[in-house]
Amino acid sequence: MTSMSANFVSSHALATSLVLPVMQAQSSLATAMTEESTGQYANLGLELGEQSGYELSLKEQVGQLQTLTSNNSIVSTSLSTAQSALSAISSSAQTTLNDLATWTAGANSGASLQNTGQSALQSLMASANATSGDDYVFGGINSAVPPMADYYSTPASMAKTAIDQAFQTEFGVLPSDPAAATISASAMQGFLSGPFAALFQGASWSADWSQASSTNTSAEIAPGETVTTSTNLNEPGFQELAQAYAMLSEFGGSELSGAAQQAVADAASSLVSQGMDSLTNIQAGLGSTQSAIASANSSMSSQLTILEQQVDNLDDVNANTTAAQINSLTNQIQMAYELTSRLQELNLAQYLPVP
Amino acid sequence: MSLSTAFNVISSSFAVNSGQTAVVANNIANANTPGYSREIANVVTNSYGGADVASVTREANAALLEHVSSSTSQAATQQAISDGLATLAQTVDDSSSASSTSGANQNGASPSAMLANLQSALTTYEDSPTSSSAADAVVSAASDLASSLNSGSATVDQVREQADQNMAASVGKINSLLSQFTAANNAVVTGLQTGANIASAEDTRDSIVTQLAQQIGVSTVTAANGSESIYTDSGVTLFQDTPRTVSFTATPTLVDGASGAPVTVDGVPITGANSPMPIQSGALAGYAALRDTLAPEYQTQLDQIAGGLINAFAESDQSATPTLPSLPGLFTTPGATSLPSMNATTGLAAAIEVNPNVDSSQGGNPSLLRDGGVSDPGNPAYTYNTTGSASYTGRIQQLAGAISTTQSFDSSAGLGASSSLADYANASVSWLQGENQQASDSSSYQNALATQATSALSNATGVNLDVEMTNMLNLENSYASTAKLLTTVNSMFSAVLNAA
Repeated sequence: MTSMSANFVSSHALATSLVLPVMQAQSSLATAMTEESTGQYANLGLELGEQSGYELSLKEQVGQLQTLTSNNSIVSTSLSTAQSALSAISSSAQTTLNDLATWTAGANSGASLQNTGQSALQSLMASANATSGDDYVFGGINSAVPPMADYYSTPASMAKTAIDQAFQTEFGVLPSDPAAATISASAMQGFLSGPFAALFQGASWSADWSQASSTNTSAEIAPGETVTTSTNLNEPGFQELAQAYAMLSEFGGSELSGAAQQAVADAASSLVSQGMDSLTNIQAGLGSTQSAIASANSSMSSQLTILEQQVDNLDDVNANTTAAQINSLTNQIQMAYELTSRLQELNLAQYLPVP
Repeated sequence: MSLSTAFNVISSSFAVNSGQTAVVANNIANANTPGYSREIANVVTNSYGGADVASVTREANAALLEHVSSSTSQAATQQAISDGLATLAQTVDDSSSASSTSGANQNGASPSAMLANLQSALTTYEDSPTSSSAADAVVSAASDLASSLNSGSATVDQVREQADQNMAASVGKINSLLSQFTAANNAVVTGLQTGANIASAEDTRDSIVTQLAQQIGVSTVTAANGSESIYTDSGVTLFQDTPRTVSFTATPTLVDGASGAPVTVDGVPITGANSPMPIQSGALAGYAALRDTLAPEYQTQLDQIAGGLINAFAESDQSATPTLPSLPGLFTTPGATSLPSMNATTGLAAAIEVNPNVDSSQGGNPSLLRDGGVSDPGNPAYTYNTTGSASYTGRIQQLAGAISTTQSFDSSAGLGASSSLADYANASVSWLQGENQQASDSSSYQNALATQATSALSNATGVNLDVEMTNMLNLENSYASTAKLLTTVNSMFSAVLNAA
């Protein structure tokens, strides 16, 4: 009988030789069709293996940058609110300054000085208690309570009481007392720059006027970049304006002599100018934070583009390759079917004469 | 030489012809039987000068058979490992089609993705610390992370329990195959002594060895009397004249840290760390590797992540002179009264939960995250926001930073001793997918190899119908010639008898 040789092929092996290739091609075809429809590898984990963690970290960076970008809009809103409130304060201060420049003790009454002071102080209180969302923008981190107390409240506010007390202590009378007319301009100047000024600084300011925290809020605007995102009522600019408006409001319509009222108007005028300068500095500081956010957003946006590109490089299949693969797999399977049927006919029994 | 001798030769010729035809018929009948070795009739000249079928042998090839059984074993090992790891890998899948528990997230539900979500939620909370919805979002992200670790840990348990059940099933098959082998082996030994046809018994024996190789890596040695002994690939005797007992006790519930029972042969463990001769291949080896090494290693990584989380989010005594110990904050385990040591994190991934003190659905207060006091509400020692300011972000910044701060891990989990939580969680995903990819590639490769080996064996020892057909034509011609010879000799006899 025939000896075994390298040419020997068993009929069983021949018949089944195409089974495995067809199964493999069918499974590859299913995978390729999934990839064709999703544009991504069918089994990302198996495709990436050890790189999976890297790919995930890229996706997570994308998520983190998207979160920061969307959070920055909240921070920007709050900064814009603060900026427009500061602008309103500045413009009211400018109006006050103009009023004071045209005021003279002889021609105008003290009552107009008082009106100027009152309306300016009310406008300052409204602007200082501006909110963005539920947060008071000038409250520092203590953003849940209105930073500036109502000066004109009933019963009398602590600030008003403290001013009356200081005046009484200095001159022995209240400003509304006719005896106050004897106070000289220089004595008034001394009072305004001494005991009166002290009420608008340090502990007295915090106790009578401001609920704000001196610690400003901060936020992460880009990975690792934390910036100060607010200012607070304890800044000198607010104190100077409040001081100027309060002196006008308290001593303008009082029994003081014309010379003393002129001294009040002069002192107020100088404080308002100082206050406006301070506020301009604060606005500049907030403006630089706003531009830092804008540049962080634009740099994060270009980073996002790069990161998303990298993720796509890892995750995505080439559409042309997949299409070509599907074509060649379909051809391969068709050829395997064809070959299987041909092999079935390749059998000696087919060619032997029927006895 | 006489005419009667011629008759003897003719009759032996018919006998040889029918013997050979029987062999051809048998070969054709088994042409499509996998593992069938073609038979060969050995014809010798007899004392009358005729021919006899002295024996029928089979076309065996021990080397190729060995190759088939070893590649089958390797393929089965890798298949078992790959199946288990694929189940585990599903828990960290981040394909676009992967479903996630939190819906909106496209990075899957892995601890790593959930950790990144928590960090994003903390960043948002940091930018709007007065928003209670931002605080709730942090708590819900933290809760998703805890669930991800819980379900990851449960999946590990499930994979290990499945592997344990598969081991029991595999041991059952091995014992049954060994007892079938006993019968086939006895038939061969007896057949050799009595001179019976043992080809079919030998085929049975080979087929059993190949089936056995699917379950456990084996090697065989044939003794002089034809008896075959089976050893595991590590050298432990499975069969020598009689089958050895393979024993295994299944452990229905395998919790974190618990180890399953080893498979033993005659009391000698052949799987597990304590085995002097551990088996290397076969499905059994794959299940054992999955149950005893791979899944527990991933479990340790999950436990380390859980332990790292509890420690990273812990609260410390904020007094000027701290005296109290640090306590679990946002993440804790039920009834925990102290921080876990990173060297003893067993069971943490299964038990980790969000502290009920910050969970508003359990009556907690999410803003404790900003103010401190999650661990012990009302205790001023753990209060970070001492001024009670609504926009205090110092603590939230610490928490957001904790995820990317380098901390210590137990290096026995295989991912290094020092890393940030975020990197560690990513490294864990890489490790799992890496192992998964390797097992899957290896499984495809070994399967292809086993198919090739099987086909090579079939080509070496199988049946070619065309060859058998040719042989049959030969036999047909030989039968016709012998018949002609018989008629001729018969007429010669008649001529002699008529002449007398």
